Amino acid sequence: MILLIVVLSSILVACSSGDESGSSEDNKEVTVWAMGEEGKLLKDFSKKFEENSDYKVDVQAIPWDQAHDKLLTAVASGNGPDVVQLGTTWVPEFAEAGALKDLSDSMEDYDSFAKDNFFEGAVASMEHGDQVVGIPWYVDTRVLFYRTDLLKEVGYNEAPKTWDELKDAAGKLAARGDDMYGLDIDLNDQITPFIFAWQNGYEADLENNDLNFDTTEFKTAIEYYTSYFEEGISQAQQGKDITQAFADGSKPMFFSGPWMVNIINDQAPDLKGKWATAVMPKKETNTSSMGGSVLSVFESADNPKGAMEFISYMTETETQLEWAKTSNTLPSRTEAWEDPMLKDDPMFATFGKQMENAKPGLQTEKFERIAQELLSSIERITKGGADLEKELKAFNKEAQSLLEE
Amino acid sequence: MATATKRSKPEKALVIFLLIAGGVLVSIPFLWMISSSFKPENEVLAIPPTIIPDNPTIENYIKLFTSMNFAVYLRNTIIIVLFSFLGLLFNAMAGYGFAKYHFKGREKIFYLVLATMMIPGQVTMIPVYLILNAMGLTNTMAGIILPGLAVAFSIFLFRQFMATIPDDLLEAARLDGAGEFYIFFRLITPIAKPIFAVQGILTFIAGWNSFLWPLIIANDESLYTLSVGLSLLQGQYANNFALQMAGAAFMVIPIIIIFSFFQKYIVEGFTMSGIK
Amino acid sequence: MKQLLNNRHPYMFIAPAVILLTLFSLIPILVALVISFTDMNLKGLADWSAVSFIGLENYKDLFSDATFIKSIFNTFFYVIIGVPLVIICSLSIALLLNYGTSWIFNTFRAVYYMPSITNIIAVAVIWGYLYNTEYGLFNYLLSLISVDNIPWLQEPTIAKISLIILAVWKGIGINMIIFLAALQGIPKSYYEAAEMDGASRLQVLFHITLPLLRYATFFVTVTTLIGWMQFFEEPFVMTDGGPLDGTISIALFIYQEGFQYSEFGYAAAGSFILFAMIIIVTVFQFKVQKKDTEL
Repeated sequence: MILLIVVLSSILVACSSGDESGSSEDNKEVTVWAMGEEGKLLKDFSKKFEENSDYKVDVQAIPWDQAHDKLLTAVASGNGPDVVQLGTTWVPEFAEAGALKDLSDSMEDYDSFAKDNFFEGAVASMEHGDQVVGIPWYVDTRVLFYRTDLLKEVGYNEAPKTWDELKDAAGKLAARGDDMYGLDIDLNDQITPFIFAWQNGYEADLENNDLNFDTTEFKTAIEYYTSYFEEGISQAQQGKDITQAFADGSKPMFFSGPWMVNIINDQAPDLKGKWATAVMPKKETNTSSMGGSVLSVFESADNPKGAMEFISYMTETETQLEWAKTSNTLPSRTEAWEDPMLKDDPMFATFGKQMENAKPGLQTEKFERIAQELLSSIERITKGGADLEKELKAFNKEAQSLLEE
Repeated sequence: MATATKRSKPEKALVIFLLIAGGVLVSIPFLWMISSSFKPENEVLAIPPTIIPDNPTIENYIKLFTSMNFAVYLRNTIIIVLFSFLGLLFNAMAGYGFAKYHFKGREKIFYLVLATMMIPGQVTMIPVYLILNAMGLTNTMAGIILPGLAVAFSIFLFRQFMATIPDDLLEAARLDGAGEFYIFFRLITPIAKPIFAVQGILTFIAGWNSFLWPLIIANDESLYTLSVGLSLLQGQYANNFALQMAGAAFMVIPIIIIFSFFQKYIVEGFTMSGIK
Repeated sequence: MKQLLNNRHPYMFIAPAVILLTLFSLIPILVALVISFTDMNLKGLADWSAVSFIGLENYKDLFSDATFIKSIFNTFFYVIIGVPLVIICSLSIALLLNYGTSWIFNTFRAVYYMPSITNIIAVAVIWGYLYNTEYGLFNYLLSLISVDNIPWLQEPTIAKISLIILAVWKGIGINMIIFLAALQGIPKSYYEAAEMDGASRLQVLFHITLPLLRYATFFVTVTTLIGWMQFFEEPFVMTDGGPLDGTISIALFIYQEGFQYSEFGYAAAGSFILFAMIIIVTVFQFKVQKKDTEL
């Protein structure tokens, strides 16, 4: 038994010493943290960068669900990578904590970092105050997915273009019978209420610390949102998986992002030719949300120079197109959208068009919290039967105090 | 079992019937997990769910094994499992110490051990990481293994069971001149076989599924385990349920083997009279 | 000499585990205790000079936080119903399984252990289906006997009960094997003697089996209580605390504050309130047990 312990501990020591390869031999190694599937794809993809420079790239793929925890420990210990992929919603939080390097001074050294290279909505997620903390890597936005055949049956040869049309079409579709709905709205999605609000002309005034949740624009947007549930056009209970409901026609319209295109193609191949995407229906505007990921340099990076070289390479138009093909994500550079590969594909083109009018979530590290509060308020209205006016007043107070905290 | 022979047939039938009825209820999700691993993605979330796949496929398994750095992950997982058994030994020793010795501060130390169970693990995650970092153990196998070695639950379980072993037995052995460690390894371990078997199962499962620390500590995928590798297959929005079920089904096979191996000892029992 | 040995040995036995626990559990708990008196957040984590001590502020805030109060209520709801249920179920199943040794019983030991080793995503998907209001199996079966649809996960109280059922299902396995192991420790001569005295089955159960399982039952009760006080996984994967915070537990609240919103000071304070509650419950059990054994 004691022998066993000795043997095991010697293995342990051997393992530990073996893996402790130095991180600071010379500064030719760039460590990159990227998420999930993209992290795995990036490993091979970055070989091309290695060939054209004398850097060696070490990509570590991190599961999406645990990425936040992992980043926390990196922030706490200063043991972070050089380059990190961040979902746009995480940028304000980590920038606020001072975990991301300010790239303002290097903007001139790298052409591909220039702000006018990117969609306007994506630029907002680059900035934190007067700092530049990330370069948009890929983007996504929500559009309307709809069943062309079913819409035709209720008299719509094209996708609804306005709020009124959307409501009208959805109402007619919901009236087809029991268990039939018009439009699926995901009650757990944080950004959807904001999309409606933006479309209604709502705007937060973060510079003056004013969230403007007490404006009529915001209120009528939430009224519009909740009316879908009150009138039974959208399903308030948990129902079928959306792909299945879309395929069997019980939920013929929903909002979602580019990832959904492949899911529908893979899981409901029979649906081909019976569905399409369209830009958001309009009220004052047809704004949608801007998501995706940026690449940032960690404040504690061992090799900031190499990190910027790598980011610069990843945001060149040519690389962006290549990456779009590899990973099925959408390029953040507007120039890439001139390419026939994206321009001539109707599915992609919708997203390209929507991207011109898209905004990221409110750029405060409290956004997630505020959005969660809003969802709870909406839940109390749609399920708990609370008074909308009162509920929103309370929410405004709560959100405002969260922001000022 | 001597008493079993006296029990009537109908009674036995009733017991078996109850067990079967409950067993079916209890195992449906498990069966669904296995069967879903053979389904194409669009069938997994179908309502109502199917237990027998309509279009069986082994695509998921092919994808599973080709898209993971399998050999490396398996090696790391096995190393962690081996060391967790060293932890099991430590826990057994501690449990024995608390159960069979009277020493100063016994109660207090034992309560401190129990206290470690009482706080949600997430709260101590960052402090533990910082301690490992200060010890220079981040990005090492040692850093992954150490935090999970001692487990209060396991120490407590050993203590409870070893407390039932009669003191006379130990005294007799001491009178015969046996050393304390000899008594522990030669006398106590065989008696406590059922509880070692229970712990063996639990320890194996914990080590085999280890996920959080490999992920947090590793700055290099060469230290990832199978569980971490599997969770990499999950997308930000798309969930790949069928692939995940294939992974889960694969992960559960060794657990079942280990379980059937150890469970013999759980019910084998020991007779006090046989030891003397 | 013997005295000396006896003094040294116990410490040698407990040292490895206790040292490891001190290093990786007790010290971190103390660190967390200190953090609970600060306003530590993500910013503070990156730069410790930005952290300031705010005394009992976090604790005061917690008790005026409606969600936290609700989570305490919910946790007690889970514990009071769930703990007795899981102990009774796992003990009954262990007794049934202990009935025989043929292959049938061997198989069923594995079958009843399955919920503990079923992947949590599979659990979430299947139970999500069973509980689905419109398409779920439970409501379909109820509709056969003309009972109205039950909103399994949509009504706060029913949702709590649904989660308890799920947790009991999942928690049986581990307690069952502990009881099984304990049952083997009961000398057969006891049963034989009882049978000779003509004791009925129930008398044997209540006068021999259960008293002799005392040590195991105590262990299972203490650990199950500690586990259920930290009820987390089921609401986390099934409801995320909803509807209307109806299923949020203290541990889930702590997770959301600490990891989703990075309010580490606040989350640490929450976990020490939980810690204090668990200690009170556990010490109480140890006191009661001591009285029992002395009698």
